[in-house]
Amino acid sequence: MVPIASDIGEEYEALVQFLYLAPVGLVQANLEGEIAMINPLSAQLLFPLSPDGNLTNLFLVLQSVAPDLRHLVESCSSNNGMLCDGMRIPLAAGNGGKAQPTTLSLTLLKLDQHRLMAVINDITQQVARERMLQQNEAWLNAIMLGVSEYALIRLDRGGYIHDWNPSIGRITGFSAENVVGKAFSVFYPVGSTTVDRMADRLREADESGWSLDEGWRLKADGSRFWGSAMITPLSLRGANAVDNGVQSTDARIFDVVSPAYSLVIRDITDRRDASETQRKAIACDHLTGIGNRRAFFEAAELEFLRGKRLPRKLSLLMLDLDHFKNVNDTHGHPAGDMVLRDFAAILTASFREVDVVSRIGGEEFAVLMPSTDLAQAQAGAERLRQSVEMHAVQVDGTAIHYTVSGGIATVDSDSADFEVLMKRADAALYAAKAAGRNRMAS
Amino acid sequence: MNTISTINFEQPDIGVALDGLSGAELDSLEFGVIGFDADTLVRRYNALESQMAGLASTRVLGSALFTAVAPCMNNFLVAQRFEDSAADGVALDAVMDYVFTLRMRPSKVILRLVASPSSAMRYVLVKRRP
Repeated sequence: MVPIASDIGEEYEALVQFLYLAPVGLVQANLEGEIAMINPLSAQLLFPLSPDGNLTNLFLVLQSVAPDLRHLVESCSSNNGMLCDGMRIPLAAGNGGKAQPTTLSLTLLKLDQHRLMAVINDITQQVARERMLQQNEAWLNAIMLGVSEYALIRLDRGGYIHDWNPSIGRITGFSAENVVGKAFSVFYPVGSTTVDRMADRLREADESGWSLDEGWRLKADGSRFWGSAMITPLSLRGANAVDNGVQSTDARIFDVVSPAYSLVIRDITDRRDASETQRKAIACDHLTGIGNRRAFFEAAELEFLRGKRLPRKLSLLMLDLDHFKNVNDTHGHPAGDMVLRDFAAILTASFREVDVVSRIGGEEFAVLMPSTDLAQAQAGAERLRQSVEMHAVQVDGTAIHYTVSGGIATVDSDSADFEVLMKRADAALYAAKAAGRNRMAS
Repeated sequence: MNTISTINFEQPDIGVALDGLSGAELDSLEFGVIGFDADTLVRRYNALESQMAGLASTRVLGSALFTAVAPCMNNFLVAQRFEDSAADGVALDAVMDYVFTLRMRPSKVILRLVASPSSAMRYVLVKRRP
């Protein structure tokens, strides 16, 4: 039956309302990103990101958080198909108001040669749940693996190795005199952890009953293996800790030499390839191989949490390649990509393993430096600036020189939140640019 | 007494003026009016707003504004500000550029957010911008 005009009106209205209320963001745009159709949930999620207060171009709206979309669309040669499926877009360090999402997911579908369809979701809650699951999984890995491949170590309250056990020698090659009385960081490669981070682990074990991390570990001969390290308190939960602000009268509190924790280190090198591939897919920038925005904001959030529990210094360096557009315009985009890769490599080589180096925008990079004060951060930034200035990238026989500007900000542990730190580093970066570029400001 | 001609989008104390208008008077205004109560349920919805959104007022009245009528405003820029002003017991009167998705087209609008501890009705006023 053909509906009469008033029925069509009714149906249209019902359809509009259906789209108004869909709990998922839907956008239709052309291949240049110009938005043709958009539903309210998209506006709810996207309008706060819009740099110009409009929702006319999807790529422009998402430019500051997902700079590669235009590139992604341009590089797709087929007439239709999925361009990205559930790509995660981190928005901030996760300390916003209650209605502020911290992670969006974006699915981009090419319908034909003229149209794109985007599906946008707020997945803030889902990301939080996943992180918890990952931790549980790592914990299971640690306890379920083969029992022969572990070193059992007892630590005193300060995290110093209490006694010698042959399993330490079997896994790490260290002898008793190498390790007894030393901090357990002796098993960690130089630059891959800090004193504060070690204390975090003990505190976490006190509070949760265990603390686990995976990463490179050190053998006596200086070689590395991929290991998991689990710390558990030997006494009952809370006995090592200070409860409710009132110090326990338990005598063990004052006994600094008795063993207080067990540390189990396992060699899980065999499993590393699988987990690293997975980790890279999630946390790495596809062009440069260093951390992406997501990895950066997650690390920042974590470091702020640590700082709240146990005060320490934290420095942030925001970087922007000078006149990068000129490189692209003069030498072409492939050369621009090589410069970005080159810079990422210098960046990685210039900082410690524990520092988080990330590409957070087109030619914007950031370095998060745990337990680092302003003077140390300034020195590191200046070293980086000089390395970049003094060298050139070879592209098809042409030497391309480039420079970088940076802004540094440092907080003490009681500073407000990460957004504040970022704003200060950004302001310093702006000052460095304004003062003529190729310089670091703080 | 207020007459319709005296109400314009920018005028001060507009909430009080709107409270005093009849439904027919609201319908004759040249900007969109959405009035909602402390539970965010829509109580007033004028003709211009209805026409812009493509929704009859019968579909909207009594529904929760930020979840069942206009989810585009359910963020810290709009919904949160009404919640904050209610929680803090202070008046809200803010004008801002925004983008609505009227009939799925991105539509630039100017919003005026109005709330006052002395009135049960809160308002979102909507005017198209070029």
